[in-house]
Amino acid sequence: MQNILLLTLLLPTLAVLVVYLTGKKSAKTAAILVALIALADIALLSTTVPVVLESAEHKYVESYYWIPVLGSSFTLFVDGISLSMAIITLILILVAALFSVNYMQKKKGLAEYYALLTLLFIGLVGVFITSNLMLFYFCWELMLVPSYFIIGGWGYKEPYRAAFKFFIFTHAGAVFVLLGIGAIFMVTGDLDMFQAQDLLMAAQPDLVKWILLSLTAGFAVKMAVVPVHMWLPDAHSEAPAPMSALLSGVIIGAGAYAILRVSLGTVFPAVAVIATDFGNQFLHGLAVFGVISAFFGSLIALVENDIKRVIAYSSIAHMGYVLFGLSLFPFQEPVTGTALTGTVLHLVNHSVSKGLLFLSAGAVMKQLGIRDIREMGGLAGQMPVTATASTTSALSIGGVPPFACFISEFLIFVGAFQTINNDSFYLLPTALMLVATVLSLAYALRYIRHIFLGPTKLKRAKDAPFFMKCAMTILMVFVIVLGIWPAFFLDLINTVSFV
Amino acid sequence: MIEILDVSLPIISFVLFSLLTIPVVKAMRKRKGMKTVLTLGWFSTVFIIAAIPIANLAIKYYEHPSPQPFLNITLTSEPLAIFSSTFMIDAMSIYMAIIFTIVGAVTFLYSIFYINLSERPSERYYSVMLIIIGCIIGTAFSGDLLTLFIFWEASAAGSSFLMLYRKTPSSLHATLKYLVMIIIASAFIVYGLSIVYGITGTLNFWAVKQALIALEDKHLLVTAFIFIAAGYAIEAAVVPFHMWLPDAYTAAPASSSAFLSALIDQGSYYVLLRVLIYILTPPTVLEWTVMLAVFSALTMIVGNLLALAQENVKRLIANVCIADVGYNLVAITSVTPLGIMGNLYFFLIGGITTALSFMALGILNRMGFETLEDFSGVGRRMPFTSLALLLGVFSFAGVPPLAGFIAKYLVFTSAIEANLSWLAVIGVLTSIIQAAYLLRLINYMYAKTPQEETKIKEPKKLLVPIFILVAAIIILGVYPTIVLNLIEPVIQQLPFIP
Repeated sequence: MQNILLLTLLLPTLAVLVVYLTGKKSAKTAAILVALIALADIALLSTTVPVVLESAEHKYVESYYWIPVLGSSFTLFVDGISLSMAIITLILILVAALFSVNYMQKKKGLAEYYALLTLLFIGLVGVFITSNLMLFYFCWELMLVPSYFIIGGWGYKEPYRAAFKFFIFTHAGAVFVLLGIGAIFMVTGDLDMFQAQDLLMAAQPDLVKWILLSLTAGFAVKMAVVPVHMWLPDAHSEAPAPMSALLSGVIIGAGAYAILRVSLGTVFPAVAVIATDFGNQFLHGLAVFGVISAFFGSLIALVENDIKRVIAYSSIAHMGYVLFGLSLFPFQEPVTGTALTGTVLHLVNHSVSKGLLFLSAGAVMKQLGIRDIREMGGLAGQMPVTATASTTSALSIGGVPPFACFISEFLIFVGAFQTINNDSFYLLPTALMLVATVLSLAYALRYIRHIFLGPTKLKRAKDAPFFMKCAMTILMVFVIVLGIWPAFFLDLINTVSFV
Repeated sequence: MIEILDVSLPIISFVLFSLLTIPVVKAMRKRKGMKTVLTLGWFSTVFIIAAIPIANLAIKYYEHPSPQPFLNITLTSEPLAIFSSTFMIDAMSIYMAIIFTIVGAVTFLYSIFYINLSERPSERYYSVMLIIIGCIIGTAFSGDLLTLFIFWEASAAGSSFLMLYRKTPSSLHATLKYLVMIIIASAFIVYGLSIVYGITGTLNFWAVKQALIALEDKHLLVTAFIFIAAGYAIEAAVVPFHMWLPDAYTAAPASSSAFLSALIDQGSYYVLLRVLIYILTPPTVLEWTVMLAVFSALTMIVGNLLALAQENVKRLIANVCIADVGYNLVAITSVTPLGIMGNLYFFLIGGITTALSFMALGILNRMGFETLEDFSGVGRRMPFTSLALLLGVFSFAGVPPLAGFIAKYLVFTSAIEANLSWLAVIGVLTSIIQAAYLLRLINYMYAKTPQEETKIKEPKKLLVPIFILVAAIIILGVYPTIVLNLIEPVIQQLPFIP
């Protein structure tokens, strides 16, 4: 087959209308349809795995005629990193759709909900599998609009307020990305990430610096790095649980992926060649922001009492780790060091762990109708599956072996120690990061203790219904398997080299 | 070879049909049951007959590409040529004629249904519209400053009839304001033109340009430039000459606002572009980029801030039109091929998007929804109209995959290319403001709970032209190559500007 990736994108695109019409009749069928499409996409993408692993370039590329005048063709590609991210995204979409069956029951306008979810699907997958910056931006913004309506239409309290904040913040970030992309086009005349990478080497140093800053700042908003994180706690906590899982699992991960792929992958090599000092300062800056985010997120998660806000702040903390990891890898010798592998693996692991944590929190909220963790307690006996899911994911987030996030955090730290040899600046940030991991274990334990352990405060809470259990079990399996046997994703990620 | 008849036939046919329209439509009105079908039939015949010479012209032009891509066509032969009208055909004028005809036809379709809703529909309305379309195509084909002036003023002045249609006190007031501005503007332009004629002894685009390049003392030219630029700036509603636009567009019936924003607005940008880039080309003739950059920054900022403060939704969209002028000026200021491409794309997309929004607003206004507060929960009560408005609004905000995004991208990139990064940054910042107030509108439409929950029946006929335009912004957003391929010849001709 020659059009696997195109099909991956076309399938959800064509399905939007079908899902909407099905949803009018039966919401459950629509949800299962979305899940099936995600499954079909996983199947399609997994056919490219052998190509990525075995071909000489470790890439699979498709290109179609699009806008030649703007140096853009409809280029779809996967390499190890994008394939890992795309697969994990699809798994989360599948799980979110299944979880919605029970979770969204009795809510209005479910046909629209599932249609928007499918629309979001296109953006989420598209962002990871394109190498054309224009198409990348299309998908980047396509993540935004459906999210806005999902958060606003089916969220809690004052959902449109949170959604508004989310839209404005991330759109403001996105226009700076657009400025950067425009500047890249102007300098190179080509919008392919890999072509542009070489062509940028010949550009004026000053301009490239600005491109790098503008792009990174724009992406950082989506990634919710402190101080541009303000949209995240609101959006994540007000959104319906499946959407929170996608937001926290994939959308902010997409921000990190974009920094890796576009800022560091496309633009940074040019900066490193023509302005070495600036390049170093830039990476140090990223590390500092990473440390700040990690501490800020962890500390607030320690004192927050709203069940979803705890998790939301922990996402900020984890993006701090990722940013720290990203700042390391260009320093490493050889460039494909442990830091890069660890960072990307952390994105994957964080996706499943945080997705699961949000889903289980959603299950708790749905069954109890409250969201203050001080009012909960002793739920372990009443909601065994939810409790197991929560505990697994919280321990993974806390960095406890043998759960998923442990491995990747470990790899990031190995990378950090390797880097200290080359650049002594990293001594202090690494030490601080180690302290932050302790904090993250602390809030994870606090979260479990408040909700599931201790005396029973609420009588007769029932465990989650069937589809919610299913969804949580799938992710639980991933959290444990990825912790014990990360080889699949490690192999994929290790094929990528940034030179 | 393109003859004078080929060029003038589209204009003549529109004007001729406009005169025929009054008796024909009057006669049709007497046959009760068949009225709508007959009117539709008549106007589709008109547009098809008028479109044929334009298509013919385009085919003839592209069939025989000549080394000199600009065709000058004069009415009389040599010695008197300078006094005679000149037409000029190049890729740009053909592109403009095509989009004027197509967008004109769609807005016209809407007007037929919309005007028929009023108590005593007037056939003069259609007639004026046809004349304006004819004149504006004439503007696109003009080859000297006087012809350009005549055709353009005819369409600008003609549009005052469209604003006046409802004859309410507010529309009278707004039309008066518009007319006064237009008269001042044309006085400025005539004064400027007379200076240019005095300096160069000709009004033909290329002759003027050659003469001006050779000019040593540019003081007089600067004076002429100030008058001409100010005149056209008034008509294009560049800040600080923008005051007439929100009033005029708010007071006019929705079909007029849609028509004006899609054709007259874009026509005024075209005139500005033609005069500034093709005749007063910087830096060989006159260096005006810095001055225009300041004005474009001002227009973007003021237009968006004014829109931020609006409560009336129609006024809000009218202020978005002002902001759009600013974005267009950014591209003109850049004086790069990419900028011209952005401009030409923006003409079409900006026109379609504003027209679409005004059309959707027309339906909503008829139901009595005027202010943001009234719009509460309208999304659930009138789903299709709201969806159209929503997509239009997202296209304004530059959200892909809608066409507005590509337009904005081209504009900002051209500014960076012209070393005007500060202007691009201002453009980006103001477009965040734009996203904010447009999202506020969406918030009202979808988030607030309405006072009544009942669904309102939406007029299906009016939705047809609206959804044609919606389809256009989606298709041109996902696959802009269709239009960009039409624009490309224009860009290739730029180096030929003598």
